[in-house]
Amino acid sequence: MMTDITDKQNKALNFLDSRLNAKLLTHLNSCVHCGLCGTSCQYYITEKNSKNMPASKVDIVASIYRRYHTFAGKHFPKLTGARDLNDQTTEEMIDDLFGRCTMCGRCVAHCSIGVDIPFVVRTGRMMLQQMDLVPKSIQSTVDAALNTGNNMAIPTQDFVDTINWLNEDLQFEVNDDEATIPLNVHGVKMLYTLNPREPKFFPLSISAIAKVFYLAKESWTISTEFYDITNYAYFVGDEEGARVITERLINEALKFGADTLILGECGHGSRAMRWEGPNWMKAKYPVKTITAVELIANYIREGRIKPDKSKITDRVTIHDPCNLVRNGGIIDEQRYIVNQCCSDFVEMTPHGVDNFCCGGGGGQLAMSEYNDRRMRIGKIKADQIRATGAKIVVTPCHNCVDQLSSLNVEYNLGVTIKTIAEIVADAL
Amino acid sequence: MAIIEIDGRTFDVDGDGFLTNPKEWNEEVAQLFAKHDGTGDLTEQHWAVVNHIRQHWEKTDMAPMVRSICQDTGIRLRELYTLFPQGPARGACKIAGLPKPDGCV
Repeated sequence: MMTDITDKQNKALNFLDSRLNAKLLTHLNSCVHCGLCGTSCQYYITEKNSKNMPASKVDIVASIYRRYHTFAGKHFPKLTGARDLNDQTTEEMIDDLFGRCTMCGRCVAHCSIGVDIPFVVRTGRMMLQQMDLVPKSIQSTVDAALNTGNNMAIPTQDFVDTINWLNEDLQFEVNDDEATIPLNVHGVKMLYTLNPREPKFFPLSISAIAKVFYLAKESWTISTEFYDITNYAYFVGDEEGARVITERLINEALKFGADTLILGECGHGSRAMRWEGPNWMKAKYPVKTITAVELIANYIREGRIKPDKSKITDRVTIHDPCNLVRNGGIIDEQRYIVNQCCSDFVEMTPHGVDNFCCGGGGGQLAMSEYNDRRMRIGKIKADQIRATGAKIVVTPCHNCVDQLSSLNVEYNLGVTIKTIAEIVADAL
Repeated sequence: MAIIEIDGRTFDVDGDGFLTNPKEWNEEVAQLFAKHDGTGDLTEQHWAVVNHIRQHWEKTDMAPMVRSICQDTGIRLRELYTLFPQGPARGACKIAGLPKPDGCV
């Protein structure tokens, strides 16, 4: 007998039902338990607990699917490992799918048959979202973004004051008293987006990109209303929220007459905006999107900015954000840039599509309840960085920057973490 | 939720080490947290930052912008990052007894 289910659990099951298309059915039914995913996963490498196996994260969702959607699962659940959706399984889902996965996708690259494990994890997160069981720590970030327009709830005046304050720094850097960071300018070519942590706590990256745009003579602006590139709704499986956030930025670009939306240095935000957003909006964007990394690489290729690599002689390495690199395929651009700006660049091992996550992806950075795990799995990244002997780690993602900064302190790495814009600005 | 012990005193903190009950905060607690996270002995400059953050939070329920910290205390931005090796959020705000700010921090 199936146990009684609550209204919310019923809602989650209906949701799963509505999602059972060929793609999801394939990924729920294909795992052969070969175990290759285990040795690719930072959680499992760090702690050999079967719950850390990517396959077991797929299995908890698949076992519920089997219980309600297959003949054998309905009638002989124990024989097929099918499980009821109940308080115990939902609690396990929260811990497995929110607490033991950075959605980095390294397991997919190593899977013998190509199961899209983070896709299944995300589907499970969506079921939890239907039951209002998203961890509060990350849900509050989503709520802030939806209710205030940015995920740190920065009031508009505070944002404007910060940007105006940064103008002094820019004017000094480019030796031009007239230089300013353009706010709400209509008729520009490009609308720039950023991560709210920049104006709130780490604005040097804004000064850096402003210097790059100034020297490249770019026609650009920042909107004071919607500038937040992050999309935490995507992390928690709230597709309607994710759509709203996407649509706001597209509308903002149209409002200012920009034909291109520049995606600031944010891995998941770039992925959400560039590759997932059109699916949520069910439409092709009326504007182009380009990541800041690609744009800066173009400036250098076209000679619009001329970095001087003799200015940065310390050893530099690159950390590859999973969403941009493994999932988005932006691999060579950041290497081209760093090679043009630094005289001693070394790669981590492994890197590129086989990189390890910083440990803070998939919303981990926002969920303090899993902080211990985040710092433990980050040791792999810390060891990688140390082995390069680098003094500077460059990464085009603010989420990675924050996790790497935590690792820097925790594991005494003695490195400086910089965004792409910051390393380029240093070389100009 | 977690408990940390510093110099024989225990505090309820969240997983990131931010104080669970902000009312428990006082100057002695600030100094203990600073010692615990590697910031060390709080100097006059540290106190200017911590007090500004604390007062802003008590008034608005939010951490201040880093701009207002710098402008109010006269401390330069780059200097601020040196004063608090864990940064303005995970360092200074934690020492000031605030809950962890939302977002990528």
